[in-house]
Amino acid sequence: MTMVVTSATPSRVERIVNRVIGVSRRSVVASIGVVILSAFALIAIFGPALVGVDPVHPYLDAILAPPSGRFWFGTDGNGMDVFSRVIYGTRFAFGIALPAVAVSLLIGVPIGLVCGYIGGTIDEITMRVMDAVRIFPTIILALAVVAAAGPSLINVVLVIGILDAPVFVRVVRAEVLALRSSTLVESAVAAGNPTWRILFVHLLPNAIQGATAQVAVRAAWAVRISATLAFLGVGIQPPTPEWGAMIRQGAELMSGGQWWVAVFPGCALILLVFGFNLLGDGLQDILDPRRKVSAR
Amino acid sequence: MAEAAKNLLDVDELVVHFPTGRAGQVVHAVNHVSFAIAASQTLGLVGESGSGKSTIGRAITRLIQPTSGHIRFDGLDVAKMTPAAFRPLRRDVQIVFQDPWGALNPRLSVRRLIEEPIALHMGMSASDRRAYADDVAKRVSLSTQLLDRYPAELSGGQLQRVCIARAIATSPRLIVLDEPTSSLDLSVRAEILHLLAELKRDTGVTMLFISHDLSTIKLICDKVMVLYLGSVVERGDTQDVFGNPAHPYTQSLLSAHLSADPRQKMNRHVLKGEIPSAIELPPGCNFAGRCPVALDTCSLQRPPLLPVQGGEHLAACHRISDGGNRLVLAP
Amino acid sequence: MSLLQVDNLHTHFVTRDRDNQVRTATALNGVSFALADGEVLGLVGETGAGKSLTATSIMGLLRPPARIVEGRISFGGRTLTDMPPDELNALRGNEIAIVVQSPKTSLDPLMRIGDQIVRVIQAHRRMERTEAYQRALKMLAAVGIPDPERRAQALPHELSGGMAQRVLIAMALINEPRLLVADEPTTGLDVTVQAQILDMLRRLVSEMGMASLVITHDLGIVAHYCDRVAVMFAGRIVEIGPTAAVFGNPAHPYTRALIGSAPENFSLAAGRPGRGEPPNLYALPPGCHYVDRCPLADSRCAQMPPLVSVSAGHEALCHKATVTTHG
Repeated sequence: MTMVVTSATPSRVERIVNRVIGVSRRSVVASIGVVILSAFALIAIFGPALVGVDPVHPYLDAILAPPSGRFWFGTDGNGMDVFSRVIYGTRFAFGIALPAVAVSLLIGVPIGLVCGYIGGTIDEITMRVMDAVRIFPTIILALAVVAAAGPSLINVVLVIGILDAPVFVRVVRAEVLALRSSTLVESAVAAGNPTWRILFVHLLPNAIQGATAQVAVRAAWAVRISATLAFLGVGIQPPTPEWGAMIRQGAELMSGGQWWVAVFPGCALILLVFGFNLLGDGLQDILDPRRKVSAR
Repeated sequence: MAEAAKNLLDVDELVVHFPTGRAGQVVHAVNHVSFAIAASQTLGLVGESGSGKSTIGRAITRLIQPTSGHIRFDGLDVAKMTPAAFRPLRRDVQIVFQDPWGALNPRLSVRRLIEEPIALHMGMSASDRRAYADDVAKRVSLSTQLLDRYPAELSGGQLQRVCIARAIATSPRLIVLDEPTSSLDLSVRAEILHLLAELKRDTGVTMLFISHDLSTIKLICDKVMVLYLGSVVERGDTQDVFGNPAHPYTQSLLSAHLSADPRQKMNRHVLKGEIPSAIELPPGCNFAGRCPVALDTCSLQRPPLLPVQGGEHLAACHRISDGGNRLVLAP
Repeated sequence: MSLLQVDNLHTHFVTRDRDNQVRTATALNGVSFALADGEVLGLVGETGAGKSLTATSIMGLLRPPARIVEGRISFGGRTLTDMPPDELNALRGNEIAIVVQSPKTSLDPLMRIGDQIVRVIQAHRRMERTEAYQRALKMLAAVGIPDPERRAQALPHELSGGMAQRVLIAMALINEPRLLVADEPTTGLDVTVQAQILDMLRRLVSEMGMASLVITHDLGIVAHYCDRVAVMFAGRIVEIGPTAAVFGNPAHPYTRALIGSAPENFSLAAGRPGRGEPPNLYALPPGCHYVDRCPLADSRCAQMPPLVSVSAGHEALCHKATVTTHG
C-alpha cells in the first residue's frame, strides 16, 4: 500500500485523512472490521428513519412477493417488507450484543483481577466454577433460563452476558498472573498502595489488552447466540423484526423457492459477525507489543 | 554486633527459604545473616547470582516474608508484621529497583507517579501535593517539563530519576537500592551516583546499596558486606575490605574486576566451576568446593564470622588463623 | 587485504507513524572500518550507538523496517551487501559466526544441546552424524564444559547462564570460522564466570587464528581483550585505534567522557558530570552528532567533522583532535 497524501502545508482535511490512513495501516484486518461495523452502526441509528416503511405493516396484497422495485428484499409470509425488517433488525442485533458484552466485562474483569492477584483457594474454587459454566452447553442453559423467566430482551442479555463472563475472567487472570511478580507490582506495594489500588490503578490498565481484543469476538458470539435463540423460538418473538426470528420463518420457506425471506437477514447476520470478528482479530494484532509497522 | 551508636537497621539471624514445589526441598536463599547499619551510613551488599543480596533487600522492605530472624528498624521488629501493619512504615523505608522501565506503571504520567507516595502517606491537598512533587522533581534534577509525559517517552536515566524521586518523596529514613545503575549506560550511571551521593550528603539518609559491581560500591559505600550463597563471608569498612580482603572469595572477586585501563595488568585468580545449587547446601563452608586454599576441615565445619585483626573487619574463613587465606594472583 | 572491510555503511529504519508520515531513524551514518585476519576489534558505545546493528548489518540479518541504504561490506574479497540469500546462508555459521547475549533465548528449547551443535555442523559440512557428534563433544570440552558426554544430553533450560553461553560459543566455533562476531558475550553473567569465559574465548580465538569483532559496553573487556577499539556514537565511529593509544590518549571528547565515566575514574567529590541524554536518531544534528553534549563544541561543528589521524592507526572524527607526534 503506497497511499500517501502529502502537500507542503496539509489542510485540516488532509491531516485527518492521513491520520485515518496511518491508523488503519496498523492492521488492515481491523480497519475492514471497523468499516463494516461503522456501516451497520449508521444503519442502526439512521436506517429506520430513512426507510419509511413500517416493518410490521402487513401488505396483504403482496404476501411472499419476490424482490422488486417496490420491495427491494421482497416480503415475507405475513406480507411485511423484508428490507425494512432487516434494517430495523440491526438495532436489535446491536441492542443485544453490546449490553451482553458489557455485562460479561462487568462481571468477568473484577473476578479475573481478584483471582489472579490473590490466588490460593479462592482462585481455585472460582476457576472451577468458571470451568463448569463454560462447559455447560450454552444454548441449553439459555433456553432453560429464558423459558423459565420469560423471553424478554433483558433476560436474553443477562443470560448471554453471564454465560460469557468466564472468558474475560480467564483472559484477565492470565495477564494478572504474569504481572503479579513483576517489578511493577513490587514497586506499587513498596510505595504503600493498598490492595484495591494495586488491582484497579496498577494492574487493571495493564492487564486489559487481552480482554479488549476479546470484546469484539464475544460481541460476534452474542449476536449469533441471540439469533439462534430466536431461531429456536425462544427469545425475541415475531412479528418483532429480529434477524434470528426472520431466518426461522424463512427457513421453512426455502424448499418452496422463496429464498429471500431467510437469505437477506442471514447475510446481514453473517456480515455483522464477520465485522466483529475482523475487528477482534485486528485488535489482537495491534495490541501485541512486539509489532513494528514498516513503511512499504 | 553491639555498637555504641544506636543502629537504624538491625538484622539478626535472617533466614529466607523458598519452597521449590518438591516436598522437603527449599532454596536456601539467605542463611543466618546478621548485620546492622548506623543512621546516615551506607552499607554495600556485594555478591553474584545466588548470593542472596536481592533477597535481603526485599526481606527488609517486606516485599517477601522472612522465614525466621529479626529485622529491627529503629528498635521495632518488622520481620513478622502483616503486610497491612507494615504499610504505614513504608513512608520511612523505601526501595529503588534495578529496572526503571518495569517499575513504573506505563499508564500513569510521571507527575502522578511521583505524587503517589505523597498521596498515600502525607495527607496533603491536591495543590500542595502538586507543588511538593515539583519540588521533589527538582531535587532529582528532573525537568518539570517531563512531569506531564509518560514513562515510554523518557530515557533510562530519566526513568531512574523518577524512581528515586518516588523513593525520596516521603523523606524516608532508610532507602534500599537494588542494583540501581546496572541497567543504565555508563555515562548515566555516573550521573545517578552523583545524585545519590548528593542526597546522602544533603539529607543524611541511610542507604543499603546492593550491587555486583565493586567499583560502584567502592565509590559510594561506607561499609561493605560480601555474600556468597546466602551467607556473609566478609564485612567491614570499605577501605579495609577492598584494601586488605581476607576471604579467598573476596580476593577472587576483586581480582576478577576488569579496570578500564589497559595499562593495568590483570592480576587475577580465575575461579573454577560455578556457584553451586542453593537447594542442597554443602556441609561446612559454602565456598570450599571452589576455594583454592581449602583444607579438609573447610568442608566439614562452617567457619564463623570472626574479626580479622581485631576491630570491625570480619571474615568467615578457617584459614585466616594460619595465614593460608592469601591467594596467589597470577598475571 | 583486510578480512572484513566495511565502507560507509548507512542503515535506516523507515516506518510510518499514526499520521501516515514517513519517519526515518538514521541508525548507522557512515560506519567504516577494516578488520585483519587474527585481529580482535572491540566495538564500544552506549545504547543506541549502533554497535549491534553494525553486527546484524554485516551478517545480513536485517529485517524490515531496517535496511542498508548505502555502503558496502566485503568479506574475504567478496561483497556481502549484494550477495544472494543462499550464498549468505552458506557463509553464516560457517565462515562468519555470531555469539549473542542471551543464550537461553537463542538455543532451541526442545533439542538437546549435543544435537544442536551437530545440526550446525551438518548445515555446512557433509559428515556422518556419529563423527559430527564426536566433534561436538570435543568442542564442548574445549569451551570448558565438564563431563561433556552427559551434558550433551541436556536441554537448554537445564543449563546455567554460564553453561548456556559456553554452548553458544561452541556452536559458533565448531566450523572454524574466519570471523567471530561476539555481541555482548558476557553481559548478565557473574563476574567470576565472565572471567572464565573471556579467557577461554581469547585462547580459542588465538589458537584458531580467527579474527574477532567484540561488541560491548564494558570498557574493561575492551581494555584487556581487544587489540584495537572503535568507539561509536549515534551511528558513527568517532574514534578508532590500538587499545593502548585510544585509552591512553583519547582524542574525541565523547571517548574522554566515556572513559571518565567508568566508576574507577571519577570521584564523587568532583562536580556533576554533563547531561547525557541519548541522541534522537530521528532528528540528528547535521555535521557532528555529538555537538549537543560536547563541551568543546563551536561553530565549525555544524559541518561534517574530518577524520583526523592522531597517530599511527589512531583516528578521531573531530576537528579539535590534535595530531600527536609520539604515538
